[in-house]
This record gives sequence, structure tokens and C-alpha cells, in this order.
Amino acid sequence: MLDLTQGQFVKHVVTHPFEGFEDLRWKKAGSMKIATGIVVLLFIQQLAYSRMYGFQYYSDYDKIFNIVPYIFRSFGLFLLYVVCNWAMCTLFDGEGSMKNIYIVTAYSLIPYIVGYLVGTVLSHFLIQEEYIFIQLFEIIGTAWSVVLFISAMKAVHQFSFPRTLCLIALTLVAIVAVMFLLVLLLTLFQQVIIFIFTIYTELSYRLRV
Amino acid sequence: MRENNKEKGDDMSGFKKLIAAAGAGLIMTSVCAASVSASESYDPYSYDRWGDAVASQVGYTAEKSIDGQLINGLYEKVESMEGFDYDEESWKNLLNFKEPSDIYISADDLIYLVDKGNARILVTDLDFNLVNYLDKFNYNGEELTLKNPEGVFVDQYTGYIYICDTENARVIKCDTEGNVDRIFEKPTTELYSQELTFNPRKVLVDKAGNVYVVVRSVTKGAVMYDMNGEFMGFYGANRVEQTAEIIMNAFWNTIATDEQRSHSVRSIPIGFTNFDLDDDGFIYTVTESSEVKTDTVKKLNPRGANILASTVGDEVSFGDISPAYYSIYTKESQLTDIDIGPNGEMNILDFAHGRIFQYDKMANLMFVLGGTGDQLGTFRSVSALESHDNKIYVLDSRKNCITIFERTAFGEIVTEATNLYNEGYYAESYEPWLNVIKYDGNYRRAYIGIGNALLNSEQYKEAMKYFRISISRSRYNKAYEGYRDELMQKYFTPVLIIIIVLAIVISVLKKLNKNGTITFPWQRKGGV
Repeated sequence: MLDLTQGQFVKHVVTHPFEGFEDLRWKKAGSMKIATGIVVLLFIQQLAYSRMYGFQYYSDYDKIFNIVPYIFRSFGLFLLYVVCNWAMCTLFDGEGSMKNIYIVTAYSLIPYIVGYLVGTVLSHFLIQEEYIFIQLFEIIGTAWSVVLFISAMKAVHQFSFPRTLCLIALTLVAIVAVMFLLVLLLTLFQQVIIFIFTIYTELSYRLRV
Repeated sequence: MRENNKEKGDDMSGFKKLIAAAGAGLIMTSVCAASVSASESYDPYSYDRWGDAVASQVGYTAEKSIDGQLINGLYEKVESMEGFDYDEESWKNLLNFKEPSDIYISADDLIYLVDKGNARILVTDLDFNLVNYLDKFNYNGEELTLKNPEGVFVDQYTGYIYICDTENARVIKCDTEGNVDRIFEKPTTELYSQELTFNPRKVLVDKAGNVYVVVRSVTKGAVMYDMNGEFMGFYGANRVEQTAEIIMNAFWNTIATDEQRSHSVRSIPIGFTNFDLDDDGFIYTVTESSEVKTDTVKKLNPRGANILASTVGDEVSFGDISPAYYSIYTKESQLTDIDIGPNGEMNILDFAHGRIFQYDKMANLMFVLGGTGDQLGTFRSVSALESHDNKIYVLDSRKNCITIFERTAFGEIVTEATNLYNEGYYAESYEPWLNVIKYDGNYRRAYIGIGNALLNSEQYKEAMKYFRISISRSRYNKAYEGYRDELMQKYFTPVLIIIIVLAIVISVLKKLNKNGTITFPWQRKGGV
């Protein structure tokens, strides 16, 4: 039963929200390569959503382009979630390893990415009054992903449903905490660098005189 | 700047040329770096879709500036006055302007200038020949003089001159000889709080003969008199800006007792500073305060309600979009005077930056002129402006002169195009708008104009192109809708036929496949 290749398992997982991840865990059929590919797709989707949307919908300030926010919104946030979730699950006796969390989180993002990509393509063919159709795809994709995501967390850690929700909430808190610390660290390093630079300038002036 | 680069470019290597060209392009797009026309003493700019300033052509160019000595006949007039002594300071002052505060051009083409510091009204023709000199007024045998007057208005129907005698707390209505017909003073009714002072700053009279007076200390709007001088009430008060603080106060007031309420701070709107009448009899007001953003410019109907918001939408802003930076501090626009041109253009004077903003009647920015400085076309302390025909007269109370801006060729084309466009003649405005782009590729309204002309003549694809350049999403949407319908009409039948044929072929093939008559190549491969 379920003699599927790794690639076929992706389809199985996405189309079977409730037992798909259990099967995946049981068969150990998750693939890091595919998961990474999905995260790359997420990055592309983020880019497409804000840069390649149909002109009749999209009017953001586009005189400057900075890729860093997109990297953060896809790779950064994803990795942050994986790390934080892993850290939290160790406190909760969850069974997921970092690798498994990485794989199932990525898999559960597929409907979201597809929904938004389809929306982006459609936005080139529809007019403003028909935005509801685009929204439909985006909402369905997101909702589907949420269901998959909860199911994935539940399966990978072998938790009960309330416990899973609790874990997700705590993970979000952890993400906020980590981001705060990162900002703090960054600012502190900035200060240190400025301090070193000031000393350097001071010395170089004195040497010159 | 551009010419310079071109000259140098001749003896440069190709690579250097490229860099120079790129550099020049950068400079052209960044406003403060270079002026497009070398003759202006400031950098003309306009705003793009995002509210960023972009380099632009000038719609008006500063032609000349006139001070008191350039007014023909003023010297002779003052000289012939009794007791004239050239060496005395007060007499010397009379030979020039001193803090001029208001300018008005009457229907019979006479310029009325309020010379505040010299307490007189000078009347000249358009070539600045002195026509009339009003400093003494005869009120039933009594002689009146002015004290720091700040406003003047001429009723085009009766010919009477209305003068705001500011420090004397009265408005004088007189004829051209200086014979006073009526004096408007502080109303004595309870409606006008008697603790308030009465310092009239600006005055105007509508078609019905009602007199409106802007009083410095009154925030409820203009003080309004009927034609017999009876106080009728206040007209066109500003709204209070909805800041968080005011909303909180309103909330507390609803639950407070009367006792508490009497101690709380009352929210009072900021009174408007200046106004003007357009040809249709609507009154436009400006509010100078840099603190508020609501109701800075209003167009009032006879009831005193703002109809500008309903005709052009609430999201319009006036003055500089982003505050200008002066070395270390920022300055918000302070709109101090407004003048309505013959086609409904609003000329708005910004005291903070010494700039004149011209908007069309739909409140779209047309031109920005002026700036701070000492050269011709820039100002130290602007006090009033007036437009006549294709000229704009701006008064500077520190430089004591009138600066005259004359519309350029570019300005003419833009005005023509804008007027046609606003009247709804989209197709007719197409050519002028194309010309506008030839002068100034940054002029966003031109692209919208062209786009709309094309849209109206059902050239959807072209229209889409122009709307895309001008970044106007909803208009692009409309053009795209038309374009898509066009495509659908063209290709719907063939596409439908192809789909039906394909469906039939596929179903037939599938049936044959089931029967075993044919096998598909992939089945052959997989079957092995």
C-alpha cells in the first residue's frame, strides 16, 4: 500500500489533508530537495505577487527595488519558523526532528503558493470588477494551506489537536522574540562598528599630524 | 546645464559620454539639481504619480518686477502734495511702496494696490500709470484716513471700492473720488462676541451686494453684512480637523457633566485667511495655518458649504505635497492668498515657500512657480496675488514690489489642453496634450489626457499604453476592459469552433482507443 515515489507523495499529501502527513511520516518519504524547491517557489511567488501583478490592480511604489524584504519574507521567515518550532517542540516533547519540520512545513505551503500564483496570472486577464475570482483562488489556497499546516504539525509531533494549536501559537511568540533579539543584536553591532570606526578615524588623524 | 554637457561631450571618449549622458539624465530627473530653462531663478518642478517632485517646464516666467519708483506719475503726485519735503523720511517713504498687503484688478482693468505702510490705495492701469491716489476720505464732511489697511475690493456692478481699514477696525465703502458711502463696523449683536476685536483683513462683495469680511480674530467664518450694512451672520466656517485628541475630547464631553464640560477645552476651527470670488459667484477660501490639513482650500456655495470636496473628491491636497527642507528644519505650506483665473484656475500663494501653485478647476496641479530668494521670480515675504488675462501679479511685502509672471508658450498649450479636457472635449485636447509632452515628458496629466482621448475614440490598446505611463490604474482598467471586449469579439467564434472540434476529435479518438482500433504512442511504450 502507498508505494509512491517521493514526488508522488507530494501530491498525496496535498490532496489528503487529514492522513497525508501521517502517511508521509510513516513512509519517511519526505524529501529535503523538494521542500527546498517549494521554498524557492515561495520566494518566486512573493516576487511575482508584488512585481508582476496585473497593472490594473497593482500600483505600488516601484521606483526602487530591494530584494532583501522578499528574501526575508520567504527564506527568512520560513527558516525562522522551522527553528522556533523545533525549539518549542523540544519543550513539549514533540517527536519532529528539524528535518521533518522543515519538510512538512514546506509541503503545507503548496496550496498557498499555487493559489497566489494562479491569482497573479489571472490578474493579467481580469478587470478590477472581477477581482473576486482572483480573491477566490487566493482565499482557497490560503485556507487549504492552513488546514494542511495544522495537520502537518499534528502529524510530525504526534500531538493532539489543542496541543498543536498551542504549539503553533507559542512558535509565533518565539518568532517575535527571536526577531526582537535579532534587531537588538544588529543595533548593538552597529554601535560597536561605529565605535571601532571612530577609534580608527581618531588614530588615522593623529598619525597624519 | 544641458547645453554645457553637450559642448563638453564633443571631445569626450564614448564611455565618458555615456556616463555624462547618464549623469545628465539623473540630474534632469532630480529636481533640485538643475533647472530646465536657464532663465528662471528657481528650479521648476511638478509632481509625479507618487507625489515625488520631478523637473518640469515653467508655465509662467517672471517678466519684470515693479516697485513704487516705476509707477508713472507717483513721484509727481507726491511731490505736488502740500508740505512735501524730500529729506524727510515719511515723505520719502511715500515715493515707494511700504509693506504692500493686497492687490486687486477690477473689471475695468485697473490695478488697486493696498500700500499698507503708507496707508493709501494706489490705482494704476495695466501699464502702471497712476490713475488714482486714495489716502483721504470724505465721510459726510469728516476726513478719514487709513491705518495699516490690508484689503481692497471693487464691486464690478456698482463701482464702489471697499477698503479694509484694519487697525481702525472698519471697512470703508467709497467711490473713486474718496467719498465714503458707508462704513461697516464691528457688529453690536450678541452673535458677535463683544470681547473679540474687529480687524478686517479682506473684503469682497457678491452679486447680491452682500459684503463678506475676513476678520483676524473670528474663526466662525467671514463676517457677513447685507447691502444696507446690517450684520447677517457668519459665512463658511472651517471644520475642526479630526485629530485623535479632538475625538477623545468629544468622547469625554459626552459622558462629562455640565460642570466638567464648562472647564474642558473647546475645539475651535481655524479661521480662513483669504478669499476670492470666481466668475460664477462662488467664493473660494484659503486657510493659512500650517497646522491643519482639512479645509485649506474651499469652494463655497451660497449656503457656505464646501463643494470642492464633492466635485473633485476629498483626497486632493494643496501646496507642497512633502514639506520642503531648509537646512535643518522643514516647512509646511502656508496658503495665504487665492485667486481664481478666467477658466476657473486656482492660483494659490504659499507664504512659507514663496511659491505660487496653479491648479485647474478640478484641483489638478498645473504649475508651480517662484521660490524664496532675491532674484526676479523669487520672494522674501509674499502677501497677495492676483491674476489677469495671462499674467499673475504677486506682491512681496518685504521686497516692496509687484512681480509679474507671464504665461509661456508651454503654459499656453497646457492651459488650452486643460480647458478643453475639463470641458469634456477629449478628442480636441489630444493634439495640445501631445504638444505638452514634447515640451515636458514629465507632465503626467498630458498622458492621462491623451489616454482619455484615445479611450473615447475606442483606441483601447494605445490608451492602455498612455495610462500605463501615467500610472493611473482605474483608467487603465477601463481601457483594458474595452481592449479585452474587442479581442473577445474578434476571436470568440474561431476559438469556440477550435475547442468544439478538438473536443469532438478527442472523444472520437478515445472511443476508438477503447474499441482497440487504435493505440496511442504512450500506451505502446508503457505496455511493454
